[in-house]
Amino acid sequence: MNALSDRSRDIGPFVEKEGDDLLVCRCEEITKGEIRKAVHDGMWTITEIRRYLRAGMGLCQGQTCSKLVKGIVARELGISPAELEPATSRAPMRPIEMRVFAEESKEDHDEN
Amino acid sequence: MSERIAEHPILGTQEKGKEVSFTYDGKQLKGYEGEPVAVALKAAGVMVHRYTAKRHEPRGIFCAIGRCTDCVMVVDGVPNVRTCITPLKEGMDVRTQAGCTAAESEDRP
Amino acid sequence: MKRYDLIIVGAGPAGLSAAIEAAKRGIKTVVFDENSRPGGQLFKQIHKFFGSKEHRAKIRGYVIGGQLLDEARKSGVEVILDATVIGLYQDREVVVKLGEAIHHFKGNAVIVATGASENMINFPGWTLPGVIGAGAAQTMLNLHGVLPGKRVLMLGSGNVGLVVSFQLMQCGCEVAAIVDAAPRVGGYGVHASKVARTGVPFYLSHTIVKAEGYDHVTGVTIAEVDEHFSFIPGTEKHFDVDTICLAVGLSPMSQLLKMAGCKMSDDPKKGGQVPICDTYGRTSLSGIFAAGDVSAIEEASSAMIEGRMAGVCAAEYLGYIDEEEEKKELAELDDALNGLRQGMFAPGNRGKAIEKTEEGIDISKNLLKNGFVAEDEIERYPGVTHREGIHPVIECTQNIPCNPCQDACRQGCISIGDKITSLPIVTKDSKCTGCGMCVASCSGQAIFLVNEDCGDGSATVTLPYEFLPLPEEGSKGIGLGRDGKKVCDAEVVSVRSLDVYDKTNLLTMRVPKEYAMKARFFRKA
Repeated sequence: MNALSDRSRDIGPFVEKEGDDLLVCRCEEITKGEIRKAVHDGMWTITEIRRYLRAGMGLCQGQTCSKLVKGIVARELGISPAELEPATSRAPMRPIEMRVFAEESKEDHDEN
Repeated sequence: MSERIAEHPILGTQEKGKEVSFTYDGKQLKGYEGEPVAVALKAAGVMVHRYTAKRHEPRGIFCAIGRCTDCVMVVDGVPNVRTCITPLKEGMDVRTQAGCTAAESEDRP
Repeated sequence: MKRYDLIIVGAGPAGLSAAIEAAKRGIKTVVFDENSRPGGQLFKQIHKFFGSKEHRAKIRGYVIGGQLLDEARKSGVEVILDATVIGLYQDREVVVKLGEAIHHFKGNAVIVATGASENMINFPGWTLPGVIGAGAAQTMLNLHGVLPGKRVLMLGSGNVGLVVSFQLMQCGCEVAAIVDAAPRVGGYGVHASKVARTGVPFYLSHTIVKAEGYDHVTGVTIAEVDEHFSFIPGTEKHFDVDTICLAVGLSPMSQLLKMAGCKMSDDPKKGGQVPICDTYGRTSLSGIFAAGDVSAIEEASSAMIEGRMAGVCAAEYLGYIDEEEEKKELAELDDALNGLRQGMFAPGNRGKAIEKTEEGIDISKNLLKNGFVAEDEIERYPGVTHREGIHPVIECTQNIPCNPCQDACRQGCISIGDKITSLPIVTKDSKCTGCGMCVASCSGQAIFLVNEDCGDGSATVTLPYEFLPLPEEGSKGIGLGRDGKKVCDAEVVSVRSLDVYDKTNLLTMRVPKEYAMKARFFRKA
């Protein structure tokens, strides 16, 4: 049982703070305040934050902001960032056009 | 422009490809073939690569290795091209991006 | 699906080293790298590396990059560039974007050596053009020959921040200040000192309040922070700069390993999410190995050894060597790696405040606060001695695994001994000929040749000088102290630029003799 499994835990109300308008996710332009508020709306995991706000879901796929987002969510929940599971890692690992992603090369299929 | 390093105390003079012309928002600029588009722009003093979709804020080079995607522009009609890792070619059409499309002059704040 | 014995992801120091180890045993090896040039960050490293001979010490990073590529080519490694690995699966299937299509490969073994990505920090104005990562500055300067800006503020006093600050100055940029929220300089003292003596101020316990500018950076405000990292009102300082460089640490780029299903852990000491693996890079999945920064943030020198370890393990896994040979090879590599993981900056000491050297000498407080050793502190280190005639003065004050200076002196003037982290001492009876090899061999640029009394009221100081333009003989200027402030008038006696110095020029200046132990840099009038 960790600090995240009890969703009924009271983390207090969302209170606006100085610095809430600071941009965190550069691609999707999500602010610190939006992320903090999302935690109070019940988004306690990075996956939930990503789906709810799109923070870390833009072109760079969270390359720049994931650590920052993790820090903000952890602080809001009163836990260590190390306790938060990072977002799921899945293909494609880099920005890629769907046209290319769907283009399966034929030339490799001769062996085996 | 003095943005280019003529001689480096350790690396000496750096080899460059042949000089090519390209356009930046319709203006003729020069750069070296094969160097990243962002480098040619930087050497010409260009700082702003795009304006963001929501806040219409300027962005430019940030990571310079294709990671952060902040330096994307519309290159030869294709948006979201990472200029820091896209090699410059003769005749390229490079445009400031606004949101996901090429910026019209009224898009700029 | 094309099959390989071994697929390596990443052609940086770890990946290439692993590939060489494997290929020289006849293993069919391919290395994929998403960049258009191999070598990872090595070709951006223009300083001389630390360590001992076996770690390729005193060779510049980009030269090591070239050596690795040569070795890889000779041993028959196939390196495929512009090859973006977009997925890795548990059964060691590697999905790669090549050109405009997706290709699938299967490795009997896979080594992931994807390195690290830069951490960033946010503050008002951090998205303005002109705020860049330190890696971006290195890329622009050293790969593409273009200046990121003219006047730069560096945030971060770790080795990256210090080294990149120096590189910026080598290209003619002005570094307005080095700023760090931490109370102590994070990187090697010698890296800090070579920047500080040119006059760059250090602001520890300070961080950025905001970047200023309309559509690009025109200035920055910093302020002091208290122990909770909150700004102390009234301590704001403003700098007119066109560039703000962020050097606030690295995180392992371990997503591929996580995707494959390797057991992961979040370890702040290793820089973040890392695969759980043994000393030699074996992950929880059989046949998948990790090497270099992807498994813990360290130096390129360690990454090369870790790469070789993973290469050896993969060779055993694939049946190309037996367990006994593997054991023998790994033992040797263990020694090499342990050699690097010693001293004050060893991974085990991360975050610790160290008060004394291994010799029991107090660490310079001023070095940690301002980037240079103060005049009243320098005399207590064993490399700083006085004698008649020309002699080396070694201002090496922290235990770092590095010993090229002891091999450099043919007269045997310099001794470190068997423990590679020991502070170098100047031996008593040996006769310095002033050849300058020690000055040029010191990766930290911490060795000076001093003749404290030339008999005419003057003294000479020979210092390492890696800037352009090179001052000419006879040029008049000023001698700067370790703090970068003027201490006296100075005249250049000679500038030596021998091939064996490997681009570290030796500038000798004449100063009044009372400044022999004070003047440590020359600036032309």
